[in-house]
Amino acid sequence: MSVALRSVAGAERPSITAQGVWHRYGPGRGLEPVSFAWCGPSVAAVTGANGSGKSTLLKVLAGLVAPSGGTATLSIGGSLVPNRARRRCVGYASPDLMFYDELSCAENLAFAGEALGLRDVRRAFTAALDQVGLGRVAEDRPGALSSGMLQRLRLALALLHGPAVLLLDEPTSHMDDEGRDLVARVVERHRRAGLVVIASNDEREWRIAEQRIELRGRGLGGAA
Amino acid sequence: MPSNGSSSAAAVWAVLRKECRSEWRTRYGLNAALLFAVTTLTAVSFAIGRLGNRTDLLAALLWIVLLFAALASLSHAFVREVEGRTLLLLRLVASPAAIATGKLVFNLLFLGVLELVTVPLFLVLMGAPPPRWGAFLGILGLGSIALGGCATLVGAVISQARGRGALYAAVSFPLLLPMLAAAVSGTRAQWEGGPVGSEARLLTAYAAAVVGASLLLYDRLWED
Repeated sequence: MSVALRSVAGAERPSITAQGVWHRYGPGRGLEPVSFAWCGPSVAAVTGANGSGKSTLLKVLAGLVAPSGGTATLSIGGSLVPNRARRRCVGYASPDLMFYDELSCAENLAFAGEALGLRDVRRAFTAALDQVGLGRVAEDRPGALSSGMLQRLRLALALLHGPAVLLLDEPTSHMDDEGRDLVARVVERHRRAGLVVIASNDEREWRIAEQRIELRGRGLGGAA
Repeated sequence: MPSNGSSSAAAVWAVLRKECRSEWRTRYGLNAALLFAVTTLTAVSFAIGRLGNRTDLLAALLWIVLLFAALASLSHAFVREVEGRTLLLLRLVASPAAIATGKLVFNLLFLGVLELVTVPLFLVLMGAPPPRWGAFLGILGLGSIALGGCATLVGAVISQARGRGALYAAVSFPLLLPMLAAAVSGTRAQWEGGPVGSEARLLTAYAAAVVGASLLLYDRLWED
């Protein structure tokens, strides 16, 4: 079984536009102003030194962080997606993402599917787990998984609702070669159906990207 | 794909189910709350015996027991998410208002279960006079909504702050005081045969203000 992806031929094409987006957490920490426009189907990469704001930029694009300045918009088929509806169009995976250890992997994804309002939650999480090769550990607790398998579970969460945009923060961290191949296959499949954004410093992860921006800052207030 | 409409209700229901399932499996909050309530009532009962017609002491003791038994668990509704690093997962799949509403409903259910055990035990062990059930349950219900609403709101506000333990006490004390005063006064009045209308109105207004303020504030609470 595979996760159903939106057809983006023509009218469903996703695009992300950022105009002078910046964010400050505190002195010397944050994202310096950045502007770009990406249009799917394609793969875009965000690179830059540690602390340059790659993860922050992805969180802004996912609607998890309201930027201190500038605007970041997501459009599907030319229609602007309101912030409150963004979580339904975006799949997000990051090493920061943790799961409930009192629930099994399947229950964690089922919870996410129910909260997102999916119609057939069981089918969705079964397909997502199968796609990342975790079908056999569906009833295990996330705490029992290795770090590489946990990373796969994050990827399954991102794929759960068949989003038009996939935001992947260091998607292959802790993964073995098989895991890296899996991520490459997911990205390859998704690039034909939507927009994939990868934040990473690992060239093996971002070299397939057609578009790339490099964040040169070291956080607002710090030396570049 | 996510269905349109009723998505907020689906998210609230998903959060509520997740909270119930987590609590059922760990029973951390409920066990601690029940232990506190039963131990306190038993100890007071051994030390001073039955309070009989001391309605002033009975009313105060009832709300003290309920407050302290419930508070530790209610305040942790959001702190658990921050300390388990699962807040990001929650925010990815549900709006802040849906998360907060789901947790508020869970906290009210939690209070209900706690009261189901504590109140009969209190009436028996303390030798309280038979209550006027309508007025008694009315004040108990309104007080519980006010207490649950306030505890949930303060828990959300302080969840990402450093030193949140001390902060919780400092912030919640002035907020809980008027609610507690009204609840104690109303509980005493119903035992003494007096009117409880003014206390009921005050508790209703308090609960409406707290829940209303919560729904307005939650969307702004976790943007960073």
